[in-house]
This record gives sequence, structure tokens and C-alpha cells, in this order.
Amino acid sequence: MFDDHEIMSTIEMVKNENLDVRAVTLGVNLFDCISHDLSVFKKNIREKIISHAKNLVQVCDTVGEKYGIDVVNKRISLSPIALVGAPFSPDQMVEIAIELNHIAKKVNIDFIGGFSALVEKGMAKGDKALIAALPQALAQTQRICASVNVATTKAGINMDAVLEMSRAIKKTAALTADDDGLGCAKLCVFCNIPQDMPFMAGAYLGVGVADAVINVGVSGPGVVKKAIERNLEKKALTLGQIAEIIKRTACKVTRVGELIGREVADNLGIKFGVVDLSLAPTPTVGDSIGEIFQALGLTQIGVPGSTAALAMLNDAVKKGGAFASSHVGGLSGAFIPVSEDLNIANAAHKGYLTIEKLEALTCVCSVGLDMVPVPGDITEECLAGIIADEMAIGMVNAKTTATRIIPVPGKKAGEKVTFGGLLGEARIMNVPHLDLRDSFVKFGGRIPAPIHSLNN
Amino acid sequence: MNKFIITVLGKDRPGIISCISSHLYDLDYNLENANQMVLQNQFAGFFIVEPPSGITLDLMQKTLTEKTRDTGLTIHVNTLEGNGKDFDDPDGEIFLITTIGPDQKGLVARFSSIIAEFNTNIVKLKAVFKGGSDPKANVMSYQVSISRDVDAQAMFKALKKKAGQLNLDVRIQHKNIFDVINKI
Repeated sequence: MFDDHEIMSTIEMVKNENLDVRAVTLGVNLFDCISHDLSVFKKNIREKIISHAKNLVQVCDTVGEKYGIDVVNKRISLSPIALVGAPFSPDQMVEIAIELNHIAKKVNIDFIGGFSALVEKGMAKGDKALIAALPQALAQTQRICASVNVATTKAGINMDAVLEMSRAIKKTAALTADDDGLGCAKLCVFCNIPQDMPFMAGAYLGVGVADAVINVGVSGPGVVKKAIERNLEKKALTLGQIAEIIKRTACKVTRVGELIGREVADNLGIKFGVVDLSLAPTPTVGDSIGEIFQALGLTQIGVPGSTAALAMLNDAVKKGGAFASSHVGGLSGAFIPVSEDLNIANAAHKGYLTIEKLEALTCVCSVGLDMVPVPGDITEECLAGIIADEMAIGMVNAKTTATRIIPVPGKKAGEKVTFGGLLGEARIMNVPHLDLRDSFVKFGGRIPAPIHSLNN
Repeated sequence: MNKFIITVLGKDRPGIISCISSHLYDLDYNLENANQMVLQNQFAGFFIVEPPSGITLDLMQKTLTEKTRDTGLTIHVNTLEGNGKDFDDPDGEIFLITTIGPDQKGLVARFSSIIAEFNTNIVKLKAVFKGGSDPKANVMSYQVSISRDVDAQAMFKALKKKAGQLNLDVRIQHKNIFDVINKI
């Protein structure tokens, strides 16, 4: 049985420290839905997704209620549409996106991921069609998330794809200008994309996994912050001791995620996949990665010392989570999304966090330049350069990096932009030299894979 | 062989367990189970023993009372009913029902009566009412074993309704969540 402290601390984690399960994501393989006939393909994917997902929300809610832990987001990830929809044209790809949007509404989920392509070594017909379709697909739907992997440590960086994605982002922003470029908030460019990630906007189901699988993304920045503060109130601690506290806390949070994920999977009769150990913030006070930096004695995220603090945080989260679960996957690290974390957005607004420092931080955490609003008049060359830089960090460090940059049409640095809900709000970040049209990104071809990719 | 359960009550102080267990040892009683708790400053101890042959309930009560005459302890001996096993429902699932909120008379009576109406056993109860505004100062925590034939949702609904009427924050959670967070 449990003592008073165990009961009260558990309740405290849920009630006041925003402990929840951030995402339960059902992955559905669509390879058996393939057809050259668009109407047949649409019918097949509709039937398959609904047959697996029709009870997803209800089961997540029931399991969440049993344990008193909210499952905040219920989502679906799919096989890359560029692969399973390879025969189709860009216009037909848009039709597929619209059909998926209907399916998401039918099963009552907020996001469906997998409108994706994997082009690190080159673009096939389906990849080109999907990338060409991205602006219209994201403008005409609300619940579709898209991702394109343009680089890996093994393959290098596909610079043709980087430039194509820069253009696609600019076009998507223009088509969703009335919503401050909201379409770009559902579009990620990746290096080393994980095939089992539960978090949007990058979630898709890889080709090496089961027909259907449940992956879970845990939460917990508020719990980590409170644990640090509580222990520091009692006595002075060294950073090694603080890392130990973070590790133990991450272990608890991960075990909660796995418990709920496995029970959801059992109830749905679907295999359990992985727990993604990422610390995922929301735009709520007390549920912020940025606040952890302040608990660690830094004025705001972005000041000198931030990269070291984030490296320690990220490592401790992984160590604690890896002890808690044998099936860890996805991104597994701390997120630093600008608009989705109120504290990080404030740090950017006050000038503590610049885009250059943000890039430095992504060297030691997951996932990358995430939910970063930039001036709408950024050139496609400058945007492509930022994407290429971020991909290089991932490629050389053999880790995932990504960009989710929103060029906000008609707005300048410092102006406010509101995306709503979990996507949050922020001030547009200043991008130095955003009007440059350097030719580097237009050479095309691939930046070769680094020497340490030859590890066989 | 009959077993006896000995209940020991008195003001808590060092040496109570030693006193009782030493007497039981001297009398050649085989101690099978012992447990104790302290509520505020009052000690309550429970000892299940197997006595040597020929020892009756009355003799045991008399002997122990005499041996502890100057200790201020109250001793009560009963025959252990049944086979000594716990009330155990192998299909029962343990849930923790925790309320936090202002102290009022009759809280335990009102909540436990709802639990009893649904024929559900309280495995463990801890209630602390210190008054004041600190939410942690007024807490009830019931660990209950819910059988499959019990309409758990109806019971939870009734408990939540009662908590709402009494302005209490109530949490109802399966024990596994406490296990994964605390029992590593």
C-alpha cells in the first residue's frame, strides 16, 4: 500500500504540475491500400484508418480517467503519402490530403501526420508531387501535418530538396496569410527523422514497423521544474545532484506514459511501440521548458549558460527515461518550440533568445528550430540557408534536427503573431540578413555524408 | 489450534512493542503477525499469536493484564475468527479515492457509506483533519478493492457528486498509477 507522501506527491504532479500524457498516436500502415486509381486509394485508406481508429479517442479517455491522467492529444500517423500515393499528381495529392482531413474529423482527432516524403538522397515522382502539393494541401485542410526528410547522417543533405522546401514554406505561408502563415506550423523539414515519433507535426509511420502501432509521447516540464525547486528549497545542491533529481523525475513520468500507452494498445488490440521521452511544453504557465532554465538559476533561456543547462537537462531526461522503459523511441529529448512555450516566447521577445542562440541550443537537444515565426519577407535563399544549417547540425551529430519556421506574411520582427491552442503565440523573431540572396543554396546536389557515417 | 488476537492501546512512548513481545516470548506464545499505528499520540498495536496448548482466552487475558498492570496500557484479547486470511477478492481492483478540502463533521461517515452501499471493501483508510486553509491539512484517502460485479462508474459518480456537494476536490485513480510513480 502507499504512504501519505506517495499519495499526495502523485496527486500534486497531476493537479498542480501539469503531468499528463501529451500524445497517444496510432500509427497505421497504408501500403496495403495502394492503388493507381485515386478513388479506390481514398476508399481503401478511409476504411483502414477508420477501422483501427474508430475507438481511439474513447479508449484514451477511458484509460485516462481510470488513472486520473489526461491523454491530451489523440493522433494518427500514417505511412508516407509520397510512397503509398506515388502514382498521383500534385492535384491528386491535395485530394488525398482533403480526404485525410475528413477522416481525422470522422474519428475526432486533431492532427493526422504522414503527409510526408523521404528525399534525403533524391526525389522520386511521388515525392515531387507531394512537395508540390504541400502549399495547397496545408491551406485547404486544418488537421493535416506534413514533414519532409531532406537529410540523414548516412546520405548527407539533399540541397535541391532544401531549396524546394524553402519555396514550399514560403508558398504555404502566402496561401495561409490570413492566419499569419498558420499552414507552416504543420510543416516540418527533417534530418534523421524518426519513424516512430508520436509528436506532431513530424509524426509518420516508418516502413519497418507493424501494421498498426501505438506510440506515446510523455510530458512533464512542470513536474521537472517543481522537483528542482522543491529540492533546492531544502538544501543547496550541486549540478550533479540536480541532474539526478531530473533523472528520477523523468523516470516517473516515462513510467506513467508507458502504463497508459500499453493499456490503450491492449484495449485496442494493437501492438505497443515506443515511449518518446521528450519534455513537451504547452503555452501554459507551469508547463514550460523555459521555466526549468529559471529554476536552474538562469535569467531566461538564451542567456550564457543556457546551452550547458540544456545539455544537462536533455541527458538526464534520457537517462531517467531509458531506465523506465525498454522501448524508447521518437525524438526523446527536450523540445524548445518558441511559440508553444510561453516562457521561451517571452525570452525571445525580450532579446535573451536570438535565432542564432536557438540554433546553438539545438545542438544539444531535440528537435530544432521549432515554431519559430520570422518576418514574411525573408528570402527563399535565406530561409533555405537556415534550413541547411539546421540539417547540418543533425547530420554531423547523428541526431534528429528539424525546422518548423513560419514566415509571417506582411509582418516584421517584433510584431505579435497568434496561432492559437497548443501552437501558442509569440513575437516574430529577428533574422539578421534576411534579405540576402546568396547563391550557396542554389548550387544544388547533395552535401556528402560525413566521414563518420562510414561506420560499418 | 485456536489463535488469539491481542489489541494493545495506550499513550505512545518508547518500549511498548518490546514490553508486549517480551511477555509473549516469556509465556511461550508463537507470534504470527504484528502491526501497529500511532494516531496523534495514541498507540494501537495488534498481535496474532498461537498459544501453547491448554491456554484459554480468559487465562491469557488475565495473565497479560497482570504483567502490564503498571504500564498504562489497555490489553484486550479475542479469539481469532475464521481462518485468519485477509478479506481477499482475487478479481478486485484497487483504486485510491482521495479528497482534499475543508473539514466538516461526518465526512468519513458520508463517504464510507457510499462505498459500503456498493459493497466495496475499504482496504486502508487514512484521514487527517487539522482544520485551517492548508489543503494538505484536510485529507481523506481510501484504498478500496472493487469487485468486477460492482458498478464502479456508478460508485465513482456518487462519490464525485457527494464531493461536489461538500466542496471537496476528489481524485479517484487506479493504484497502478501510484505504483509506477513511486515503486521503482
